[in-house]
Amino acid sequence: MRAKEGIGLVITTVAILLMLYELFYVNLTRGGIGARGQVTTDAVLICAGFLLILIGPWLWLGEVPVAIRKFVEARTGRKL
Amino acid sequence: MYPILILLVVLLIYGVAYVFHGKKLLERRVVKADGSRLTPAWEKFDGVDYVPANKYVLYGHHFASIAGAGPIVGPATALAWGWLLPLVWVLFGNIFIGAVHDYTSIMASVRYGGVSVMTVSENVMGRRARYIFLAYVWFALVLVLAAFLSVASSTYVAVPTAATVAIVYMPLALLFGLLVYKVGLSVRKATLISLVLVVLAIVYSFYAPTHLAYEGWVVVLALYSFIAAALPVWYLLQPRDYLNAYLLWAFVVLAVIAPLLTPVLRFTGPAYVSFIVKGGVVGAPAGSAPAGWDIGWFWPMVPLVIACGALSGFHSVVGSGTTSKQLSNELDALLVGYGGMLTEGAVSSLAVILPAALVWDFTSIAQSAGIPLDLLLKAGIDVKKTPNILAFAGAPRFYTAYGFAQAVAWSRLLGVEAFPTLYTGFSTFAAWALTAFVLTTLDTSNRLARFAWAELFDWLKPRSPTVHRLLTNRWVASALAVILGAIMAYPKIEDPLRPGVFIYAYSIVWPAFSGTNQLLAALALLTTTLWVYAILRVRGAVSALMLVPALFLWVTVTVALILWLIYVVPYLPLLYIVGAGTIVAISVVLDFLLIALFTRGLLQARRL
Repeated sequence: MRAKEGIGLVITTVAILLMLYELFYVNLTRGGIGARGQVTTDAVLICAGFLLILIGPWLWLGEVPVAIRKFVEARTGRKL
Repeated sequence: MYPILILLVVLLIYGVAYVFHGKKLLERRVVKADGSRLTPAWEKFDGVDYVPANKYVLYGHHFASIAGAGPIVGPATALAWGWLLPLVWVLFGNIFIGAVHDYTSIMASVRYGGVSVMTVSENVMGRRARYIFLAYVWFALVLVLAAFLSVASSTYVAVPTAATVAIVYMPLALLFGLLVYKVGLSVRKATLISLVLVVLAIVYSFYAPTHLAYEGWVVVLALYSFIAAALPVWYLLQPRDYLNAYLLWAFVVLAVIAPLLTPVLRFTGPAYVSFIVKGGVVGAPAGSAPAGWDIGWFWPMVPLVIACGALSGFHSVVGSGTTSKQLSNELDALLVGYGGMLTEGAVSSLAVILPAALVWDFTSIAQSAGIPLDLLLKAGIDVKKTPNILAFAGAPRFYTAYGFAQAVAWSRLLGVEAFPTLYTGFSTFAAWALTAFVLTTLDTSNRLARFAWAELFDWLKPRSPTVHRLLTNRWVASALAVILGAIMAYPKIEDPLRPGVFIYAYSIVWPAFSGTNQLLAALALLTTTLWVYAILRVRGAVSALMLVPALFLWVTVTVALILWLIYVVPYLPLLYIVGAGTIVAISVVLDFLLIALFTRGLLQARRL
């Protein structure tokens, strides 16, 4: 596994854990996430999870799926 | 008048239009689409922006990107003219202008390697037109970013469960993309799995509000827009918009079912109220003197009120921006572009205008449907305070009408006692459908701004490749647009029209947006019309079918903008004149400059 993929895997794991913690622990124990009109730690954590989940899998799994690349190569006849 | 009759007429018109106007005329005789020709998605494949997509996935993306709040709030606002005039405009504009505009924008872009319709204009109107057009669109997109950052942030503050829906929706969309592209699961199976998870997530979100201050949301959403606009399309944009389309479809299908369940109920609203309404309807800022004047003439002002449902310039930027770069086959463009626009028209006509016309007078419809007024009160509708649908403003007018019409229909099956619960459920669903596409617009606009920015600086490439590479880097270009947008969405200023009331900075220029957006539609349609005439060499009655609507739209929008400059701008406070007034004035100048270039291009093409 390359460094980029390793970082992606770590980010993905952290993001999922953050979201699960906020959605299923904080929400169920406090009846919601964050406080109205404020910037709280819980709100920051779930938003961080939301943003990190966008980046993590992309770094981890790479930009172009092999399936798409092979498909394009077969159709266009050029090597990508 | 019975809603079911209008429903059947609308569906028939759309069906006939798709086959005869779309397929037989535009696809076969005008554009001559060829399924064997490689599209830019294949020829310029880069794994980020140029990626071939399944036609249903792309239809979902295109539809979800063009269907923001526009097809809903616009027709709801236009009900001030009665229900018939807006319906006629939606049908006419949708078929003869909007669908042609969207489809030809995609196809012109595809034939030029996936560049924007602004860059296509260089081939028919010259280089000057292209750069003017690109700069204009880039600024318009930054304004859209500012507005949607603000609207989304305000929405999430007001409806914290909608914020949770947005947060949990993204990982599920990513999952769909990974299932299809990485795991190799069929689209059908991946759709089924994802939709089940989406429904569960939405239901759970209803009990999990996420609270954050407005300023916090602006920062989070700006970061979201920055990241999402630079990520590969297969990774987030395609799967998310594809799943979004199901929500919109559910929303339209329910709107179609309702009249079928209530075939004997008649419209309670007037087909025609007046040809002239108050200026507030056509975008005179609230609190200004023109907002109360009778300056809202149906023509030429209607395109400023009803945008996306009939036609919108933003669509040409989407069509020739993200859509054309993902089109796998030229023959898919009809479903994606023409079909996408008709579906959006169906949202306006069937899900907004029809329910409003049915439930317009709350007392009458309650009596006809056998629903006691105390049940209406229990549902939160006080007929003394709000006797009819016009008592509500744009967006609440829509979800009240939609929720009411659905509740009336389904309470015939479930019993009138269920009316309050049904009304609350369906009006909440309608409000969610309205906000579901805000995030889509946020990152699609930024991606489109990035494309426009890159095309704007292509002249730099041979002169200074390093500077060009830096300026057009996808992360740099994404950051630039969203930072400017956030700067306009973040600060609050005191509204000069309403002392003591604070508004977000972008609001000062936002009143100009509807006009500039529709001017963009007119210019994009003129560009593709000229492309068809000059490059594809389509002549005679067939080319007139494009040229006449294009010129009609140009005249309509130009007259509307000039009237806006005469009747609204001079009576606004200085800050608004500097903001919205300047933009409209610049737009009118550019409008005449570009029509001159169009005329020159047309005359040159005629001589060939």
